[in-house]
Amino acid sequence: MKFTYRQEVDTVSEYSSFSAWKSARRSDRLSVIYGLVVVCVVLVSYVLGAFKWLPHDPDAMEIEAMMLPPFSDGYLLGTDFMGRDILTRLILGIQAYFLPGLLAVCLSLGLGSLLGVLAGYRGGRAEAGVTYFSNLIDSLPRMVLMLLVIAAFRPNIFIIMLVFGITTAPTIAMLVKSKVLMLKERNFIESAVALGLSPATIIFKHILWYNCRALLLIQATIGMAEAVLLETSLSYLGFGVQEPTPSWGNMVQAGANYLMQGNFWPSTAPAIAIMLTVLGFHLLGDGLNNIFEWKQSR
Amino acid sequence: MSEQMNKPPLLRIEDLRTYFYSRVKRAFVRSVDGVDLEVMHGETLGIVGESGSGKSVTMLSAMGLVTTTPGVITGKVTFHDESPKDLLEGLDANVKLERREGRIMRVAKDNQLWQKQADRNLKGVRGGKISMIFQNPRAALNPFETVGKQIAEAVRLHTNIKGAAEAKEKAMYWLEQVRIDSPRMRYGNHPYGLSGGMSQRAMIAMALAAEPKMLIADEPTTGLDATIQARIVDLLDDLKARLGMTMVLISHDIGVISRLSDRIAVMYGGRVMETGPAAEVLDEHAEGHPYTRALLSSTPRPENVLASGHLPAIEGEVLDTINVPPGCRFKARCQRINDTVRPHCESQEPELFELGSDRRIRCWLYAPK
Amino acid sequence: MKSFPLMAVVKVLSRELAATAALLLGVSLVVFVILYLSPGDPFAALLGGRNLSGEERDAAFEALGIPKTWYGQYLAWVGHVLQGDFGMSISSGQPVAHVLFTSGANTLFLTVGSLVVTLGVAIPIAAIAAMRPASRIARSSTLMVYLVSALPTFWLGYMLIYFFTKQLGLFPILSATDESQQLSWLYALLPVVLLGLGNGALSEIVRYLREEISRVMSEEYVRTARAKGASIWRHAYKEALLLPVSQIIAAKMPFVLGGAIIVEQVFNWPGLGRVAWQAAQDRDYPVIMAITLLAAIVVRLGSFFHRTVYVAVNPRASHQ
Repeated sequence: MKFTYRQEVDTVSEYSSFSAWKSARRSDRLSVIYGLVVVCVVLVSYVLGAFKWLPHDPDAMEIEAMMLPPFSDGYLLGTDFMGRDILTRLILGIQAYFLPGLLAVCLSLGLGSLLGVLAGYRGGRAEAGVTYFSNLIDSLPRMVLMLLVIAAFRPNIFIIMLVFGITTAPTIAMLVKSKVLMLKERNFIESAVALGLSPATIIFKHILWYNCRALLLIQATIGMAEAVLLETSLSYLGFGVQEPTPSWGNMVQAGANYLMQGNFWPSTAPAIAIMLTVLGFHLLGDGLNNIFEWKQSR
Repeated sequence: MSEQMNKPPLLRIEDLRTYFYSRVKRAFVRSVDGVDLEVMHGETLGIVGESGSGKSVTMLSAMGLVTTTPGVITGKVTFHDESPKDLLEGLDANVKLERREGRIMRVAKDNQLWQKQADRNLKGVRGGKISMIFQNPRAALNPFETVGKQIAEAVRLHTNIKGAAEAKEKAMYWLEQVRIDSPRMRYGNHPYGLSGGMSQRAMIAMALAAEPKMLIADEPTTGLDATIQARIVDLLDDLKARLGMTMVLISHDIGVISRLSDRIAVMYGGRVMETGPAAEVLDEHAEGHPYTRALLSSTPRPENVLASGHLPAIEGEVLDTINVPPGCRFKARCQRINDTVRPHCESQEPELFELGSDRRIRCWLYAPK
Repeated sequence: MKSFPLMAVVKVLSRELAATAALLLGVSLVVFVILYLSPGDPFAALLGGRNLSGEERDAAFEALGIPKTWYGQYLAWVGHVLQGDFGMSISSGQPVAHVLFTSGANTLFLTVGSLVVTLGVAIPIAAIAAMRPASRIARSSTLMVYLVSALPTFWLGYMLIYFFTKQLGLFPILSATDESQQLSWLYALLPVVLLGLGNGALSEIVRYLREEISRVMSEEYVRTARAKGASIWRHAYKEALLLPVSQIIAAKMPFVLGGAIIVEQVFNWPGLGRVAWQAAQDRDYPVIMAITLLAAIVVRLGSFFHRTVYVAVNPRASHQ
């Protein structure tokens, strides 16, 4: 409940250099660190899973070793109701969302930036069109749209991620657009044009890279978090990867009955994995956002 | 007149300090660094100074309106209505200060309790006994409500008139008192529909509708057009005469201050540099604080500019209120410094020395020999 | 509100309505095109499940009164929809409109209830976090909201069921609408609570509300209110509560509807979410198209609601 403020030095130099990281709040620094740890873990696991460098065979069922709790002998995170190693399956589960999610996020960033720049730069009808398209996409709840797409095209991870990328593009488009408008207002763009810079240079180097990269990075973290939630929700519903291929979502679903009987772990392990991962991406984005805001409002 | 001389001051501020913490610089900004002021009944005290001199923060601190955390406020503010009341009472209990060589180095503040205590102290005083009007009147009024309703609210909160219809009548009355055009229509206007001058009149009406003992006007004319400024000053002058108000007027505009003040306090770098009757303080050719002299001569006036060909300005930069140098705060920009006083100016901050019965000047040039 | 500019408000709102209609038209087109592009013949079921040759198909279409061009089919569909005819479910043979109606009521209950829960939780937490940011309550509750938002809703649902049935022994898991069960009404609250807390947007809602409340509290007119000795909330509530809440309802409605699909799955709740899931499994086009349209309509209704509140509260808005 108490605020504590300390004057760090006796005199403070007027022109002391300003480090965004050092002046950031402790909670923000922790958020970013935690988020980076999560990203690393996910990356490493993705690689492990891709090369199948796994502690156990994901499909191997040991009748003897069913429902073992975590820290059991040989099974770091225990086994599920069919004797399969949970850690292995968790690592493999990352395959289901990582690459598709990454691609989808890239798509949404690309498409979103393009639309945003178009709307901001050109204004007028381009802006109206992008706004209309944006509102249209936002009117469709993502999950409902997914079911529609699945009904039409059968569950297909790449179509799903394509649609996901398209549905997340409008938010980015609007953010980029307002950034562009702000730059316009500050005569930034006018002066760049007056300096003789080509539109491509202005757009890619100055607008997007210099001014939008923080924003886009943070949206990327949010996007990855959403991708994880989407993939796990869909595979929970049965529309993602099918058994026996593990996905965190279908692991929870498969363990549901056992949960009802009091055997929590087969469902809870993947749920915790989901939580930690989503939290990691969110905190990374939040922490970075706060640190960058500080820098700007200084 | 003598009766008023014997009355205690309506508001007395003693050693008020308000420090803000700058996270970026990791140090305290000493906005108000030991201010002593007195406002007598029926008089208008004008507080003048540059931006950043702490004049607004002083009165805001007294009224407990400093909400940006962490504002640490210490000192004593006595409001003497029927009985004296310390407006900053009990706040110290929620703050733990650690000082080193007179500087505050560490603050541990329980903000919620602090705010609660401040609200408790000022209940009934704010709005009812002391009213405050602000700069930028259109932003200071509630944009979602009609102007009339807001004035009526002040009436119902602080006078005996509680009924809606009577309050409305009273609000209309006050709108007329501030000489707003078409009061009946203005009553139902929202603030966005009023011009700067009109909304300032409305805010004055709202402040006075509560029939306070004292009005604090924080830069009431800043931001208004020049002609409108003059009209508002006229209005305040008129109200002063008619209602016999006690007023504290804060402004960086010497013209406004000179027109309305009975006494003047000049502030610089968070401290009071000079106080005294308006006529004396404003007399360029009489004795006074070097800062005040400089301020007066730097006010652009056509005859001076035409004569010398340039706009006079005060040399130097505004004081850094984080690293306050030892000695007199104004020493870096003082034009009247000489070898006799220089050693004092460099090392020790002067007190408010007396010059005559009601004049105080914080300058070594006026130290008693 | 004597000076309530009714005509101006009506004008602004009818413009909103027109925009909404234009958007829904676009949505219907998108929905139709997605189905049209799907592999396989959506009409196979209608035509008896056989693969017909081009001419046979044309003849069959003519016989059934189906236009041949894609835009013809689109217009025909829209025309039917506007008359309330959503076609027949492929799997059940029932008229889709009937399904929408019966299951829709259950989902409506879920949705509205969950909004109450969400706001009931978010508003106090946001207020405390805004007014007393460093207090233990603010920090711990914000943290908890964060964690809950990151938890997968479906898992949370199962845990809730487990604890309420096994530990408290209160509700049987049998059926959501079995009236004969004594405390079944309490059981009906569980999915509402789950959707209220687990719609994935809770932490964002709390954060947005907190920012708005903070921002409004430091506005100049609130300072004037404080200086006046008036109640700050009475002056601030419009901008700090009414407007943000209506904005939240508008913006987060898609999350609520999407979350309903998961929640209905967990609880086997007989609502549109479960119907949609089944339709996706069965590739039951008329049903899923209708539900998608309905979802878009609900979202736009939320938007319209927000605009109405905005125009009603904001004196400047009606003069544009």
